Amino acid sequence: MSHVFLVETAFTLLLVGAVVSLVLARRRKLCGWTSFAFITVSAITIGGVVVDTFRTGGEPEVVLLQLPLLGASWTIVIDQLSAFFLAIAATIGVLSTLFSVDYMTHFGEDTVAKFYPVLLVFFASIIGVLVTSDFLFFLVFWELMTLTSFFLVTFERESATSQRAGRKYFIITHAATLCMVAGALLLWKDSGSFHFPAMRYALGTLLSTRPIIGHLVILLLLLGFATKAGVLPMGDWLPDAHPVAPSGMSAMLSGVLVKLGIYGLLRVFCGFVPISHSLQAWGIVIALAGTASLFIGTLTALMQADSKRLMAFHTIGQIGYICLGLGAGLYCLPTAPTLAALGLMGALFHAANHACFKACLFLGAGAVLYRTGERDMDKLGGLGESMPVTAASSTVASLSIAGVPPFNGFASKWLILVTCMLVGMTSPLFLLLGIVGLFISLATLASFLKVLGAVFLGQPEEGSEVSEVPLTMAVPQAVLAALCVLLGIFPQAPLRFAHTALANLSSVDLPPVHELLGGPWGLTLTVSGHTVGLWTPLAAVAALALLGALAYGIQRAGAARVRQVDVWTCGEEERAAIVRYPASSFYLPFKGAFHGIYPTLRVGIPSFPPSLRKVLDLDRWLYLPAAKAVERTARYVGRTHTGIPQVYLLWIVVGALAVMFAGLLLVR
Amino acid sequence: MLTTALVLAVAVPVLGALIAAAVPARPARWSAMAAAAVAAALAIRAVVTAFPGVYRSGLGGLPWLGAQVGHGLIGVLIDPLSSVLLLVVVVIGLLTVIYSFQYVSEANRDHSVMPQDQRRYYLWLLLFVASMVGVAISPNFLQLFLFWEMTTLCSWALISFYRNEQSLRAGFKALVMTHVGGLFFLLALLVLFTQTGSFDFAALARLSEGPRASVFLCLMIATWAKAAQVPLHTWLPDAMEAPTPISAYLHAAAMVKAGVYLMARSVSSGWAMPLGTGYALGAMALLTILVALSCYFVQDDVKRLLAYSTISHLGYVLLGVAMGALGSVEGFRGGVLHIVCHGFSKALLFFCAGAVAYTTGVRSISALRGLGRSMPLTAVAFFIGVLAVTGIPPFACFWSKFMLFAGALQLPGPSGPILLVVLLGETLIAFAWMLYVAQRVFLGAPSPAAENSQDPPLAMSMTLVLLMIGSGIAPVIGIPLVELIGR
Repeated sequence: MSHVFLVETAFTLLLVGAVVSLVLARRRKLCGWTSFAFITVSAITIGGVVVDTFRTGGEPEVVLLQLPLLGASWTIVIDQLSAFFLAIAATIGVLSTLFSVDYMTHFGEDTVAKFYPVLLVFFASIIGVLVTSDFLFFLVFWELMTLTSFFLVTFERESATSQRAGRKYFIITHAATLCMVAGALLLWKDSGSFHFPAMRYALGTLLSTRPIIGHLVILLLLLGFATKAGVLPMGDWLPDAHPVAPSGMSAMLSGVLVKLGIYGLLRVFCGFVPISHSLQAWGIVIALAGTASLFIGTLTALMQADSKRLMAFHTIGQIGYICLGLGAGLYCLPTAPTLAALGLMGALFHAANHACFKACLFLGAGAVLYRTGERDMDKLGGLGESMPVTAASSTVASLSIAGVPPFNGFASKWLILVTCMLVGMTSPLFLLLGIVGLFISLATLASFLKVLGAVFLGQPEEGSEVSEVPLTMAVPQAVLAALCVLLGIFPQAPLRFAHTALANLSSVDLPPVHELLGGPWGLTLTVSGHTVGLWTPLAAVAALALLGALAYGIQRAGAARVRQVDVWTCGEEERAAIVRYPASSFYLPFKGAFHGIYPTLRVGIPSFPPSLRKVLDLDRWLYLPAAKAVERTARYVGRTHTGIPQVYLLWIVVGALAVMFAGLLLVR
Repeated sequence: MLTTALVLAVAVPVLGALIAAAVPARPARWSAMAAAAVAAALAIRAVVTAFPGVYRSGLGGLPWLGAQVGHGLIGVLIDPLSSVLLLVVVVIGLLTVIYSFQYVSEANRDHSVMPQDQRRYYLWLLLFVASMVGVAISPNFLQLFLFWEMTTLCSWALISFYRNEQSLRAGFKALVMTHVGGLFFLLALLVLFTQTGSFDFAALARLSEGPRASVFLCLMIATWAKAAQVPLHTWLPDAMEAPTPISAYLHAAAMVKAGVYLMARSVSSGWAMPLGTGYALGAMALLTILVALSCYFVQDDVKRLLAYSTISHLGYVLLGVAMGALGSVEGFRGGVLHIVCHGFSKALLFFCAGAVAYTTGVRSISALRGLGRSMPLTAVAFFIGVLAVTGIPPFACFWSKFMLFAGALQLPGPSGPILLVVLLGETLIAFAWMLYVAQRVFLGAPSPAAENSQDPPLAMSMTLVLLMIGSGIAPVIGIPLVELIGR
């Protein structure tokens, strides 16, 4: 079966599923299971397309709809880059829907008619974004995605916070979309078409004939995609919107939606912008923006006490890493294809990894929220014993995001940072950025140690009856955690996919993958014949296991006694929950030092000076006075109508005399 | 055959109006609906038959006026431009009649209407449908003018329908202001006739330079008055005293569109608009858009907010027409497409506002909160209306606005990009505000006014659903038609 047919099938399934789940909305769980079934089947369909694309390469594009009026046509083509992101979307989509089946039962007030149908359309629009190769229709799906995700973010109708966050999200990202509209139209003006290849050609011509306009177009597209990706300062919507969405949706937002911003950036910068020195400048811009995001985002995350908000800030931070890798890769693309390949592959790999661990973390936070009703980490604690699966998955994901070996976060961050260092040999700026990224990794670790410590460790509240979440919620977390481990131990496979995607996209010949990464077990980075980096996860795992066994053996051999004592609270008797070390007490010096580092934008209702309002009110100073004047004049004239015959006779006589006089004058 | 159908499309609503006036309220409603449905069917059939060509036929004339206009002075014309207006008029007209079934009744909490008054309502409404159809199918300026003034008259009667002081005042104001525009139209006709001896649309192009500018200027003033453009826009917000279906139909979808239709017709007949007038038209349209936008933020009455939004969107249409006059056909098509797209989505918004007023008796934005729970259908419809009207893809106005943006870039010189920036800015701010209002009214914890509210009865709900579909597929109908313009 052709790819397009499969994509159409997935589309149809999702739209039918939306209608079916709308009909079933009165029965929460049934509706959830139905939606899950529809999403799973369409995800499997998409999975078939993905696998086939990587095995055989893409198929030629297919035109579904023509719009000759604008030179637009809805064309579908699935290349390896689309397939890479489709794989991410399908995985996260299925798992977070499964998670939602039980999760959505705890919203008593709000009907799931607002959730599942919209979620299915949201998923369909994501697929639409990824398979469309015409900018007008791309924008249509893009905005459909924004609008459906808006309704998912504002799911809790009566919560003012979520309404405000949703509004902010929609308005900021709509502004970004309008930037993209402007950029696309500027290209259309020259090419007369919205088709990707035509736009690529137009941009190339524009950059050589009218470079200012060309760079303006690139800037507009960059703004559009970076906003969605959550790059600061435009990504300000993210820390508000992520926490208020239902957790399954937060996982989708952070795992998939912001990734599509990265997808767009890759399309534009690797696909559209011709290889030139200006690409290097844009690489620096992206890398700087990425570093700013990872610095500010992660340090702000360190100060948060709300678990989901904290993770949202980390999304900004991790997107920063992706952009750093992307920027470094783009910077090298014209001069050093090997380094470029490493940077871009690192970025792409990190995007996939981030989807896994961040979705896992959001689902973990959601599981805690489901059982305790709390996102405030100051009020949580000691859940590790009662929620072992959640705790274990969250721990794995936390270590992954912090870049601890042998998890997947390490492999991709390592690639990105190694690239930065290597680029830094010739341009010191990247060395600096790499060092910042390296140390911020530490802040990430610190921040997640806080989460783990505050939520899962410590003494539980006496008499608390928190238990593990149901299987449907535990399984997605466990699967994602397992993915974190697997991708970390076997980084070759995803990196090969990333390489194919990039090699197909870019006009530069990237070195073949076996030269870049070496053999199948681990990564051997080779630049111009020299091995510059080596990472063998299996050896590391073996060493870790060995050391762990050794430590355990020593402990057993030494037979050290373990004493259980109560916390000493100066002789006072306090409940365990009171004397727990709360999340907000962590890293107080940091909070002081970096307070106010995060820029927020506030926009109020525009107010106009009253004088302007008066000027604009034409009724007041123009029409009503004019009408009054007419009325006055009429009254004045009306006074001549007295109703007395003598007066009328007088008028007649006066008139007759006047006429006669005038006649005499004329005759003479 | 086609001629008969079109003549009937005018005659049947007139007949329906007369019947509605003569019989009791209940049969009056049904006869009104039957008449509107027949007119709609005939008009749609005519449009489909004539597509993609032009159908023109003369019926008779006034021989004493002179040889050139002797025959064909009265007749019918169907081309893509008039098809656009005709479709909007008959389809939304039918929906308005259906909606009025329950809205204009004693159960309305905003304004209950006694059965004897309902007859008067349907009389004027159907006369309006007939005259709007007449406007759309007029083959020359004279016939257009006659129907045009009839719409003004119906508008006056319908705005003053409740016969309280405010509505009488508002109706009178609307009558005077639009009629001033009508007088300018008449002036333009006289100049045109004395110079060329013809009332044909194409005669505009035959005028010499000087008179042509003045004729276009007069037509422009007529358009501004009818379509509520700055500086003659102040009657429209006051006209919101009319029953809500009337506001939706006359003052958002149909009558005000007659104004922009006149301009579109004048410009596209030979593309002979002088550049200076073209720039004036465009500049005033832009000014209108911005002035209307500035008024959004101080409105508390939902309907007045929608009225200002209408003013601004009519500005968009005229901007597109002006782009056509300045050489950008893409912009012109976008403007004409906006007639359809805006017609459906704004009618939807008005119908939602009407549904809220019907069930709660309140139109104040600040008093309404959290209606979404008790009125889910209306909430969905309002959100779709907001998204459609502010141009969020994939809904209707995105496509027309996008064509307008594209048209702006086709303009010569630096005006294109500047215009694009202004329009995008306006789009964003208008979207932000409308979204804010929609969230405020339909989401959040319910306010006291929202208690006991519920989704409107069947006929009203049905029109909401149909208009929601219309707000999605309007471009599908509109684009094939506007594609033919300017070829």
